Amino acid sequence: MLRYLALRLAVLLASLVLASLVIFVILRLLPGDSAGTSLGVGTTAEQLETLRRQLGTDQPVLVQYQQWVTGLLGGDAGTSFVSRQPVGELIADRLPITLPLSLGAFVLAVLVSVPVGVLAAVRRNSPVGVAVSALSQLGVAVPVFWVGVLLIGIFALGAGWLPPGGFPRAGWGDPVAAVEALVLPVVTVAIAMASVMVRYVRSATLDVLGQDYIRTARSLGYSRTQALARHGLRNGAVPVVAVLGIELATSLLGAVVVEAVFALPGLGSLLLSSVLGRDLPVVQTVVLAITAVVLLVNLGVDVLQRWIDPRLRTSAVLERA
Amino acid sequence: MRTTLPRVLALAAVTSLGLAACSGSGDSAGDAPSTAEEEIVIGSTNEPTGMQRNVGGSSGISQTMTRNVYEGLTSIDVDGEIIPTLAESWEISEDGLTYTFDLRDDVTFHDGTPFTADDAVWSLSEVISEESVAARKSDLIVMDQITAVDEGTLEVVLSRPSRSLLFNLAGVTIVKDGDTENTADNGTGPYRFVEWAQGDYLTIERNDDYWGEPAANPGVTFQFFTDTTAMNNALATGALDLVIAEDSPDQLTQFEDNPDFTISEGTSTTKYLWAFNDGEAPFDDVRVRQGLYRAIDRDAILDAVWAGRGQVIGSMVPPTDPWYTDLSDVHAYDPDSARALLAEAGVEDLTITLDYVAGDTEATIAQLLQSNLADVGVTLELNPIDDATWYQRIYTDHDFETTLMGHVNPRDIFWYANPDFYWGYDSAEFQELVAASEAAGSDEEQADLLRQANELMAQDAASAWLYLEPQIRVAAAGVTGFPVDQATESFYVADITRES
Repeated sequence: MLRYLALRLAVLLASLVLASLVIFVILRLLPGDSAGTSLGVGTTAEQLETLRRQLGTDQPVLVQYQQWVTGLLGGDAGTSFVSRQPVGELIADRLPITLPLSLGAFVLAVLVSVPVGVLAAVRRNSPVGVAVSALSQLGVAVPVFWVGVLLIGIFALGAGWLPPGGFPRAGWGDPVAAVEALVLPVVTVAIAMASVMVRYVRSATLDVLGQDYIRTARSLGYSRTQALARHGLRNGAVPVVAVLGIELATSLLGAVVVEAVFALPGLGSLLLSSVLGRDLPVVQTVVLAITAVVLLVNLGVDVLQRWIDPRLRTSAVLERA
Repeated sequence: MRTTLPRVLALAAVTSLGLAACSGSGDSAGDAPSTAEEEIVIGSTNEPTGMQRNVGGSSGISQTMTRNVYEGLTSIDVDGEIIPTLAESWEISEDGLTYTFDLRDDVTFHDGTPFTADDAVWSLSEVISEESVAARKSDLIVMDQITAVDEGTLEVVLSRPSRSLLFNLAGVTIVKDGDTENTADNGTGPYRFVEWAQGDYLTIERNDDYWGEPAANPGVTFQFFTDTTAMNNALATGALDLVIAEDSPDQLTQFEDNPDFTISEGTSTTKYLWAFNDGEAPFDDVRVRQGLYRAIDRDAILDAVWAGRGQVIGSMVPPTDPWYTDLSDVHAYDPDSARALLAEAGVEDLTITLDYVAGDTEATIAQLLQSNLADVGVTLELNPIDDATWYQRIYTDHDFETTLMGHVNPRDIFWYANPDFYWGYDSAEFQELVAASEAAGSDEEQADLLRQANELMAQDAASAWLYLEPQIRVAAAGVTGFPVDQATESFYVADITRES
């Protein structure tokens, strides 16, 4: 297992280096000029040159890349072209919103989708099963932002129970207001995620239900629920964990859309405004960070799957290598 | 199962989320007992991009900080008039080249340091320095020598007369000697800067040691939004006192005929224009530009975009500029005349492209232009792009045929005197009129010359100016004292109060 982990970590690092290069180069190929965008109408060509020199964007791309990577290794992600604030600080300021939003939505989606998905499989021919299938179809089909707008209309503007958007100025220093601000966004993202997960949990459970070992367990006197709980969940978990990994990564991306709808100053809003302003140091660092999270989650999923299912440990190619 | 504990914790967390949601809804801003001494919260979509005072793209910094936190030697008041500020008075030499400013002696910076002529020398010099990327640099480079005569007197010698100097100086905010663009937050204004949380809000608080009339409210927070729907939701639920600018009439329906809100409509300086690349064929032929301009039904555009609010214009000059004349009829909508002009210029089966920054307003205008032009046999190809691409392709590289843009600056008729500006209007006569206006001996003479320049440019259809945006603000009932018109970039907040 240790050797496996070391190998996987090495592959992960190599992927990150490659990703950083790709991200960096693609961003430089984008049309648009960050100098012009930040100076605005009225500045002269000489002033644009001056700013490019101040920002270092007049340097060859590889030199700029090397500066960025060297900085990253030393814990310095550079300075925003636009606000001239350290990129690391900008990102750190946004995490207290985006992390709870993503993780909250993920946890809520798991808590809802696992029992509901199992129920839908067990009762697949009853009205409950059909209703769950139909609702999850709907949840997948409806755009996330629209769900957000709908929830704002009902619970914020209509009932007045929750704020329609924004985050308290005191941040988590005002925990009640902070939680209130995140309830609707979390539910919005969770609805989209849970709709996808329910369908996987349901089909994984259906798959398991048809297996011989369930029949054997039933013949030994277990009820269907007991059989599922003892033998089914662990088997069904393998494909579901893979989907959960993908969804966890997706929840970060869902934040981009949802933060805009709810006027939340999180990582998604930062990414959006930085892309529009061609604030490349911010964009490349945020994108690289998201890439790193996705790679880590994938690694986590693989490890988790091997822990759940011992058969994977012996069949892994890397283990034998 | 090892996963049980985290699940229980997560469940507890979610449950408490739900409980908090049910119990905590009573403490939104609107329910607190209100007095006149409460902070004012203002919604805006125009967030500063950075804290550099003089950098041009950041009109958000001017909106929040100029006149509120930072002050100039002069200021532009809410009616567009130049008023003395840190300079109490000034004298202009006979030849118009030497300005002697008598500075106020009762001013201190927010950190307690007295304001002297040295601070003014530093601040003005920084704007025109080698490394400066300030938008006003090209206007102010005319300042040749900037000298502190004594603590209370500043002398500025120009390389040529500049009648616009006092206006342009209002855009240069004064900081302490040695404070640079990137570090300064120490001004002389009626408010001190407190905090800017990027992507979220900017807060300022009353400066109790202010040299002038103290602010009528104890502080202001500008709350920033990227989405106007979210902003109006916040206003509707009592989280905001005022929205600086509504960007579409659709947003207003929820506030109309509602006693809890007041809607004000003033004039802005935002001119929407369909710009041609005047230096390139076929737009280098004045008849083509005139023909294209006359093909456009501007009333219909204004109606579609603003439901009749705002104002159709025929030049770059808004009513708050001193040389305004109504020129909207110079090239009034007239498809027959448009066809005749295009035929006379010998352009047939014309196909032109329109690069525009994608947005709801722009898309509406683009489609109306397209159908108007089809009526006179011109095909308009639409090419939506993003802001950064616009700055690169159109503004910097001049690689375009026509484009749509809203220009917000006051007194920007001067850009038409620069043949290297993106629209490439190059008229010697116009440039002479503008140069003469700078050398004018009085404000009246300046205004008169610029009125002539304005008429010339309108005749030439240097661009197709479409309309002036209305300045629509929505305030919660009882909130008063905010400027109705938007004559400059600054939004002066010191007179705003809220009744209890």
